[in-house]
Amino acid sequence: MIEVENLSKTYSGVHAVRNISFHVNKGEIVGFLGPNGAGKSTTMKVLAGYLPPTDGKIRIAGYDVITESLEVRKRIGYMPENVPLYTDMRVNEFLRFRAELKKVARRRIKDRVETVKELCHLKDVGSKIIGTLSKGYRQRVGLADAMVHDPDLLILDEPTIGLDPNQIRSVRDLIRDLGKHHTILLSTHILSEVELTCGRVLVIHRGRIEASDTPANLTRLVRGGGSILLEVKAPSADVVARIQPLPNIEDVEIVLPGTGDWTVAKIFAKPGVDVREDIFGVVRQNNWPLRELARVKATLEEAFVELTQD
Amino acid sequence: MAFWTLYKRELSSYFQSVVAYIVLFGSALAQGMVFITLTNFIAQQNYKDQSVFQIFFTCAIFWILLFVQVPLITMRVFSEEFKLGTIEMLLTAPVREWEIVLSKFFGALTFFLILWLPVVLDQVALQLFSNPPPPVSWGQYGTTALTIVLVGAFYVSLGVFTSVLTKNQIISAVLCFALIFATFFVALQKWQQHLDAFTLSWISYVSLLEHFGHAVQGLFDTRPIVYYVSMTAFVLLVTQRILLGRRLKG
Repeated sequence: MIEVENLSKTYSGVHAVRNISFHVNKGEIVGFLGPNGAGKSTTMKVLAGYLPPTDGKIRIAGYDVITESLEVRKRIGYMPENVPLYTDMRVNEFLRFRAELKKVARRRIKDRVETVKELCHLKDVGSKIIGTLSKGYRQRVGLADAMVHDPDLLILDEPTIGLDPNQIRSVRDLIRDLGKHHTILLSTHILSEVELTCGRVLVIHRGRIEASDTPANLTRLVRGGGSILLEVKAPSADVVARIQPLPNIEDVEIVLPGTGDWTVAKIFAKPGVDVREDIFGVVRQNNWPLRELARVKATLEEAFVELTQD
Repeated sequence: MAFWTLYKRELSSYFQSVVAYIVLFGSALAQGMVFITLTNFIAQQNYKDQSVFQIFFTCAIFWILLFVQVPLITMRVFSEEFKLGTIEMLLTAPVREWEIVLSKFFGALTFFLILWLPVVLDQVALQLFSNPPPPVSWGQYGTTALTIVLVGAFYVSLGVFTSVLTKNQIISAVLCFALIFATFFVALQKWQQHLDAFTLSWISYVSLLEHFGHAVQGLFDTRPIVYYVSMTAFVLLVTQRILLGRRLKG
């Protein structure tokens, strides 16, 4: 659905995006993840045909973004960051206006507007002036606008920013639902959101793509995908000294050195190896009283921090 | 078609903002005051050479009004969209640039013409309440109305052009005023000494003073029509190119 090859974008000498390439297949929900100023919005603006790329080739649904811009724009629903809307219009009026602009057949306009209002929970504000709506509602009007012509591809720049937790959940469900029939590229900093909605994550940092994988695989990348938490009654030095030499152990980190006599250690093993049995062996040999031996899965947050740290 | 959708939105947006009503009120008030003053002048001086209508469209106040109105109408058309960021929504919809430019142009032109409707009412009132009523000359009304439309179109196109250059409405308005004034300034050069016939003929070709002078006498001339239509088309084309350039050149 999206094919980006060697895309670069420079704003008056500053590289916002450097030579990135990625593909998004039909039906995928892809999350664009990265710190502020990483180049997420810029990339999305270029994909939506709003900004021209400095260099590179982009095809959406087989059409070139620059030379066949109109065809591309017919097929995408783009929701920009900060959701700029005509604040003097009423919600119904605005959605009807946008549907007309996006060439929705006249007889289907009413139907489509009602449908997207239903989906975005805008039923009760249809006759309100957009300027009087709260941030959360405006956000949803922007989302409704992006979907009003039932596009093949949705490009959503921070769709849940400014929403309250309930609204975030409902937008998340909505996106997951939409993902059954649409291709979606969304950007966000909220990691739990990516984990719950996206099939694949593109981590972008300083204008470069640092990783592209499923959320699960990304977390596996981080120090073998997780660690083992061990809490025993023993001196910290002993714990490190006995466990470190075991096979397949990469690192032993003391989290809490002896509250009382208790030591909490984080043990990192080689990827794909379960070392819990070996560790338990050590504990039994030394007769350490054991309080906890648990596997801790790495979070996407850790992956994110690791990938985007300077 | 996207043009109509945008045009409707554009025109209705004028009536959503306070500025529009103030401009409308101010124009109607100024036009009415000038009209009354001229009527009184003619009645008191027993002036017979020209009608109120003819003096109105050739007097200095008319120009001042024209020069102030247009920048006030057009300054927001693009500048506001840039400022609020709504241009991003507009340009990422499947709409062609010329549809956007033309809808903004015709929206502004329509509003400009609405601003001149009070003069029609003034003239109607004059016909109804003066005794004896002044002679009606449809030919003069027609050519004057046509000239208003033509000059208005040219000036509005200049305003749309200056609005696409900046997100600051004030800059857009001042630039537009300067451009409009430049066209007027050329017309004033007619009174310079030592001009050869060729230069003079060019000045009179582009002089809106002369165009209105002829129009109020009911003189139908195709040269100003060609001039204004081609100039308007050219300025709008440049505007469309600038808007398109944003999408193409990185």
